[in-house]
Amino acid sequence: MAELITLATIKCKQQAVRAVRFNIDGTYCLTCGADKKIKLWNPHRQLLLKTYGGHANEVLDATGSCDSSHIISGSADKSVILWDVTTGQPVRRYRGQASSITCVKFNEESTMAISGSIDNTVAFWDVVSQRQEPVQVLKDAKDTITSIQVTDHEILTCSVDCHARLYDIRIGKMISDYIGEVITYGSMTHDGQCYVLSCSDGTIKLFDKDSGELLNTFKGHESKDYLLENAVNEKDSHIISGSATGEIFYWDLISSSCTQKLVHTKNKPMVSLSHHPTENCLLTACEDEIKLWGVQSVEN
Amino acid sequence: MSECDSDEDNVIRYGTPLDPFEEDELPSKRKYQQPADQYAVDSHGRRRFHGAFTGGFSAGFGNTVGTPEGWTPASFKSSRSEKAQISSQKAEDFMDDEDRSEFGIAPRHMQTQHEFSGQKRKIQQRYHDGPIPGEPVLEQLVKAVHETAAVRMLRAMGWRPGQGAGDRVSRADKVRAKRQHKVYGCYMPQEMRPNQEPASDNDSSDSEFDYETLFAPDDYEPYVLSHKNDKFGLGYSGLSRHSVLGNLMGEYGSDASTSKSHLIMKEKGKKVSIRGQAFGVGAFEADDEDIYATEDMSHYDFTLGGATEDKQKKKVKEKGVNVLEGFVKASKPLPQVPFYPPPALPKDYKPAAAGARRSRFEPTDQPQRDQGLGRHELTADARGALLGETPVPKVTDTNTQTNIPSTEDPIAKLVGRNVNFTSNQEEKSELDFISIKDSEKEITKVFRPFMNNPKKQARYELYLKDRDSYMKEGDGEMDRLSEWERNREIVEFEQAAKLYKPLTGIMSDRFTHASEPDEALNPLCAVAKSSTNYGLATPEQIDAAKRGVYGVMTRRESPWRPESLVCKRFNIPEPGGVRPESKKEDKPKVSYSVFSYLESSVHDRDSFAKEQSKFSGSKSLINTPNTSKEQNKTLNDTENVKRDDNKLENNTTSQINTGFSKRLTVAELFLKESEKDMKNKEQGVEVTETIDKFDKMDLYKSIFLSDSEDEGLPKNEESNDDKDANEFVDVPKNIERNTSPPRGIFANIDFDELNSWKRNVDNKQTNNEKEATSSANVEKNDKEAGAEDKIEIIETYGPKIPDNLMKRLEGESKSSIGGSNLKPVFRSQSERDKEILEGDSSSSADSWVDVKEIKSKKEKKKKSKKHKSKHKKSKHKKKSR
Repeated sequence: MAELITLATIKCKQQAVRAVRFNIDGTYCLTCGADKKIKLWNPHRQLLLKTYGGHANEVLDATGSCDSSHIISGSADKSVILWDVTTGQPVRRYRGQASSITCVKFNEESTMAISGSIDNTVAFWDVVSQRQEPVQVLKDAKDTITSIQVTDHEILTCSVDCHARLYDIRIGKMISDYIGEVITYGSMTHDGQCYVLSCSDGTIKLFDKDSGELLNTFKGHESKDYLLENAVNEKDSHIISGSATGEIFYWDLISSSCTQKLVHTKNKPMVSLSHHPTENCLLTACEDEIKLWGVQSVEN
Repeated sequence: MSECDSDEDNVIRYGTPLDPFEEDELPSKRKYQQPADQYAVDSHGRRRFHGAFTGGFSAGFGNTVGTPEGWTPASFKSSRSEKAQISSQKAEDFMDDEDRSEFGIAPRHMQTQHEFSGQKRKIQQRYHDGPIPGEPVLEQLVKAVHETAAVRMLRAMGWRPGQGAGDRVSRADKVRAKRQHKVYGCYMPQEMRPNQEPASDNDSSDSEFDYETLFAPDDYEPYVLSHKNDKFGLGYSGLSRHSVLGNLMGEYGSDASTSKSHLIMKEKGKKVSIRGQAFGVGAFEADDEDIYATEDMSHYDFTLGGATEDKQKKKVKEKGVNVLEGFVKASKPLPQVPFYPPPALPKDYKPAAAGARRSRFEPTDQPQRDQGLGRHELTADARGALLGETPVPKVTDTNTQTNIPSTEDPIAKLVGRNVNFTSNQEEKSELDFISIKDSEKEITKVFRPFMNNPKKQARYELYLKDRDSYMKEGDGEMDRLSEWERNREIVEFEQAAKLYKPLTGIMSDRFTHASEPDEALNPLCAVAKSSTNYGLATPEQIDAAKRGVYGVMTRRESPWRPESLVCKRFNIPEPGGVRPESKKEDKPKVSYSVFSYLESSVHDRDSFAKEQSKFSGSKSLINTPNTSKEQNKTLNDTENVKRDDNKLENNTTSQINTGFSKRLTVAELFLKESEKDMKNKEQGVEVTETIDKFDKMDLYKSIFLSDSEDEGLPKNEESNDDKDANEFVDVPKNIERNTSPPRGIFANIDFDELNSWKRNVDNKQTNNEKEATSSANVEKNDKEAGAEDKIEIIETYGPKIPDNLMKRLEGESKSSIGGSNLKPVFRSQSERDKEILEGDSSSSADSWVDVKEIKSKKEKKKKSKKHKSKHKKSKHKKKSR
């Protein structure tokens, strides 16, 4: 695997970057700041394109829509805002949840936003219609929802109550897996067959979706009490995670051996990261700084 | 008669006779007027007033400024060549002729011009009472150089200033003339009239003069009438409001010396007149030395005499003694007013402002009021007891190991059995929050809804203790009450019991435990601790997770129904039939009103039961015997089947729980009770009693079930009928049936016929169920699922699922249901505990119902509905035939 180097470093001037997210095709990225603003960047050219202000508290997560025309963001002010990318104005503001929104996702067609909150609920928002109430609220979790992943027919929610729940719309079932540790982040492999769950005990666990069996465990990083995120690279060959030590770990998915260790900022927790959907390119956020990692050839 | 005639002939009449009035007729005061007479007309005979609806006052031609066109606004036009004349507009320009007529708003009539009118208004006008009343001062100052013609003429006539013109008159005549002074209005009282007294004085003095002397007549004195600008009585003038210093002006220009008043005091030749000078100058006080008064020679004496000396002496003396004129100094001084010192304040006196409000947080010595339900007067402890909480143990030193067993005790004591916690450590943490349990006894201690009627309260308590027996037998007290009263009371008790008992259930959704002691400084610590403590994971799961054996052990599947809109947005056909009742049906509607919430919780039985079970799952120590019984069913398939059989044979009370509409009204509860009794009857209780009961039931129904409920009621019955068909084969007669003829949409439906038809079918089905090796429930579900699939497939969108996939999915759903039935719900830990604890308690009918059971029953209900629809179809067929 080609060694990744820092392609760009951007100072976001957002106090702390809570989350960094590539857009659908990986040309742009969003950073959610503790300064209540969302910034849209072109990380490859290190350009700030737009700033979205309107939240009343720290923005904890944001995602762009499939056509990159809208942004959905969740904040500690308990509201979910749908933004218009070009005008920078909030299109809709949903206030249905009782506490901070920790994670927010669009569905595949960006017709529905799904947000998870500290109030233990996952709410479905219809962004197409004018409806202000959640279409559906999932109340199965007994503690904070830490992350949500949405596929074309499934919703994976991870919660502090040590359960990963997979809601399958097609068959109308909720499959909950007890993990035994607080799940700080959950992602899915691109083939949709595995979960990758970051646990608070300093491990990342790879589960088989169908059977719920543990396939692999990845160790070496330090989670402390951070809600570390993880990612799977574009080829599903590696698992990537940040660490409280400021490093970025690459593990081989099969052998679970650490193949690469990048250092963002030493001893500063590297929490949020986002992998490019198609290229070997990674965005990491640490404090006020985001870094774009990649192979030189890709850039050229 | 003839006499009368002759009389009339002889009578001579003058004038026109009055209308002869009938005896019946009451003489009306108002004379009858022709309608034409009732119109006011103007001089031209035109109608002056029109109705308000025809234009109001003088509408029409009459008020159009004299022309048919009416008034036109003036136009202003001005050019260089033709300058516009400045035209002044007058009010008359806008008036009609009528307005200017005698009775118009601006009447015009001929009159002599002012200067020729000969009226002396001009002169009179000169006298005014402004700041300086009388003749205008300026006119007095500025005199005309030449006398006016009138003055010259007067002089020629012999007039002099101060004496009138005319023949000289004698003194007596003069006085007489004065007396005949013309007075308008009423005369002033004799003594009040000015110049009367001095005149007489003069008379007496003048009488010495020659009697024959003639005098010029008095000059004409203009009698100035001043406006009455005060609100005093007529003729009364209060204290002069004019100058305070000097220049004393009485009314009519008379000065102080001449003014007559009742309050004139003469003292030793010196007139003490009472007149207001200023505030603070007493009426009887001597005149102040007016420092502003002009010094006058009259103030001095020019003659030497004793009197003056006396006066001076007196004055000196008076001044020395400091006594007012007319007063005498008292010979002995006034008695001293004794001085009493204020009483000493008591020691415990707390000063407080008289009007100061008492703070409501201030502690009071007064005992608390005892009124109403006593809700607001409860202490925290009482409330806690009410909610069934165990008192919070003192957490002074919970961390020390020695304290742990002691804190354990209260729970164990209260519950009376071992509370299952995962570990000792857990137990300790459990104690940090208040456990909630349900115990009727404690509640009855606190809640006395019938406090004002102790007997009733006693009965209520008895009722709470043992409802069944109470319902059956009653006690001595009850016999005195009439049947109706008794029924009423039972209903009342039931309501009260419902209201006050299940508080824990009602509130369970509202409150949650602080699952851990708040460790704000160490957030992750709390998280780590709580990770096993949600009641979600069974110990086996925890164990499996610890060992890393993920998979079957840690996985749990449960049905979940996505909202149709979610499916739509995800472009996925709705998974139909997996879980028949959607969440919406489960929960009626989220209402945030406390009242509606309370109500719904109380009345909505299965939601309530659900909350109960949910709550019991997490932490509470609810252990009513019934829930565990119901739970058996969910866990054990075979038992389930057995139960079904039991149902068929035995008419157990589980029937009560089936098919009830969600919202249990009082009536339904009552029905339930009656059914319970029916069971008793079968067990050998006297039949007559129950029949009595049902007679009462009818009475009750007739009272409490209004017509509006009739629509719902037959439906309910129908479902009951279905149940009958399902579950009791050989019930002799449906006693709970409403015997009243069907009304409304059910008027034409023959229920008996429907029933008989259904029963056959259902019997067959149940037989099949018996034969089936798998759970009957599951099969039912499957059937239903299939059916619903068929129904709902019409509503799907997106690409159609291939048939084989469909089948697979169905298969999956089947298995999932089976699995879900097999698998315990996430709270199964506690439920199991209960099972172990309860064993095979056989009491059945109670308000605690398991969620699962309800679900299955709902399914049944749906099924029965389906049957119903079938029947209806068949019915229609029959009809068409």
